[in-house]
Amino acid sequence: MKVIIGFGLVLALLIVLPSVQNVMAAGDTPGEYLDRKELIWGLFYRLMIVAFTVGTVVSGMIVWLVLRFRESNPKAKPTSYEAEGNW
Amino acid sequence: MKQKGIGKMSGHSNWPEWIYVAVVIALMCYVGAEAWNVERLIEHVPEDAKLITVTGQQWLWTFEHEDGTKEIGELHLEKGEAYRFEIHSKDVIHSFNIHEYTVLMDAVPGRVNHVWFSPNVAGEFDIQCREYCGLIHYNMRGTLFVEDKGA
Repeated sequence: MKVIIGFGLVLALLIVLPSVQNVMAAGDTPGEYLDRKELIWGLFYRLMIVAFTVGTVVSGMIVWLVLRFRESNPKAKPTSYEAEGNW
Repeated sequence: MKQKGIGKMSGHSNWPEWIYVAVVIALMCYVGAEAWNVERLIEHVPEDAKLITVTGQQWLWTFEHEDGTKEIGELHLEKGEAYRFEIHSKDVIHSFNIHEYTVLMDAVPGRVNHVWFSPNVAGEFDIQCREYCGLIHYNMRGTLFVEDKGA
């Protein structure tokens, strides 16, 4: 049953997405065309902002984790379950 | 012993992790939606776009306009008009590229690919093959001439 529902959902998605795409793209005025270059490079810059932001946050967090939770850190202490040996 | 969550056992909170996961999912949705929207806009060919048949072969480009005019190695288009390209290949895989207008589409033998654009700046621009296609691939070039209407 789940397989049928899943298959139906995938099928619906495959039909719905192109239909929505078609409807939304319709109705453009002749003589007014999009600037492909501006659109593609604009997308590239926006996605680069996301990529570099995520990259900075993730790598920053890894650096912080490694420094903060190293054994030689003076602030290091066992967690409560480690101290109790309660795994 | 009843199994408890690690967060409860250790006295830690799992909330930062869930927030982190939610932010990543939100960003992925944003990236997907933006890319989908741009692809949708780019793939929608205007109804009044003029047809240009492009044929790639080792090692030159041939262009045929709607009225039957043929050009080899050169393509003359009017500024402000929309053009739909039907891209063919006679031998191996090539890739039709007009770098200045971000046009890039493979020419595959036995298959017709489509791409469209509207030149909005008059001038001369390079057309090149962007897929290694043999010995003289580097010289499989052409020139796009974009002219003002009525010029």
